Amino acid sequence: MIDFHTHPVMIKELIESAPDLFRNIREVFGFFFPPQPLDCFLLEMDEANIDKAILLPIDCTSAHGCKIVSNEQVAQLVEKQSRFIGFASVDPSLPTAVKDLERAVRSLGLRGLKLDPSLQNFKLDNTNLLNPLFEICEELHIPILIHCGMSLTPSGLAQNAQPILLEKSIQKFPSVNFILAHFAWPWVQEATMLAIKYPNVYLDTAILYSGTPQDALKQVLINQVGFNVIERSLSHKILFGSNYPRVDMRRSVRGFLSLGLSNHSTQAILHENASRILSLPRS
Amino acid sequence: METIITKVNIQTQHELQFINITDKVKEVVETSGVLNGVVFILTLHTTTAITVNECLPDIERDLSDLVQKLVPDDKSYYHARFLPTDGQMAVNAPSHLRSALLGFQVFFPIQDGKILTGARQTVYFIELDGPQFRSYVIQVIGNKV
Repeated sequence: MIDFHTHPVMIKELIESAPDLFRNIREVFGFFFPPQPLDCFLLEMDEANIDKAILLPIDCTSAHGCKIVSNEQVAQLVEKQSRFIGFASVDPSLPTAVKDLERAVRSLGLRGLKLDPSLQNFKLDNTNLLNPLFEICEELHIPILIHCGMSLTPSGLAQNAQPILLEKSIQKFPSVNFILAHFAWPWVQEATMLAIKYPNVYLDTAILYSGTPQDALKQVLINQVGFNVIERSLSHKILFGSNYPRVDMRRSVRGFLSLGLSNHSTQAILHENASRILSLPRS
Repeated sequence: METIITKVNIQTQHELQFINITDKVKEVVETSGVLNGVVFILTLHTTTAITVNECLPDIERDLSDLVQKLVPDDKSYYHARFLPTDGQMAVNAPSHLRSALLGFQVFFPIQDGKILTGARQTVYFIELDGPQFRSYVIQVIGNKV
């Protein structure tokens, strides 16, 4: 199993080595649970039967003057632990964004781009800002995971992260895979429409708004989207993600399995789709 | 009268885990120098428990089955929402309720410098929402003479 949506914001060793990170995680990212040893992250993966986790940083330098974990720190974690796959984050508002991303991928070995329009304070239809980044993603053959929908960060604006705003870029860059995080809740229907129509649009299951993961996943995937729509049209376009540590992986996996999807769809969503997007070797 | 507080940290490995801490409690009591008094063992968390029972794998399994039967994972709970003060989804109601049923502390008398327990009594730290980095406290109160 691959967890496509985790944030390395609770790792004690990392936080203790970076004096400002603790404050930024609390004040900017809005996460207040005490740091835990790196072992906790790995044991949580074990307990949830997760083999690999994607680590997502957020560079919000121009919006908040900080990074919620830097690309270098993600690369260090990946170097320490082969079960981690690191994504990069660059600030689209900075003139160095393209070069920063190239370096993160070519030199640090990071495997994708994470963007958070709410926390990084740009709109998804700002093509002047985003096209140069999407062009380099195309060249580097890396996927982009984009926060969509409600932001749990204190100052994050959901209006920046409405999925339909991305449609022109989705069309312009057909060879770039766009992963719309959180099923874009509450814009689930928009996100579903984009994933059904465009081969390069994916959705992740890190849906958090109320209830347990089981409740939220059932409400969105079964009640709103529909069991048959998932089985017929979307099973190859959905990636399992927990949003750990905003929610634990164990209950996220159990919640997903409780949906009762076919074995084919379950395997695709928990492993195969992520593996294909990241070109991971077959295990 | 002496009061000695010892905080013990443990890294739990599983979601539900029984950890025998009897030897640690005995060690703390015996090194405290207190000859007559009382020892309290308390967890510092609301999703763990401290209890006493016989140290047998089947008892542990039965107790584990019991708390899961009494507090099922898939029942509807109010504590299932985003908690802004944590920045996390609070989705661990079963862990809290199991902790409430099992209790957060036990105590034993200290006699002649040793903890006074029945032969089969084992002190357990029980993880109910692991794996996590946890702490419990052993407080020894008594006289050294």
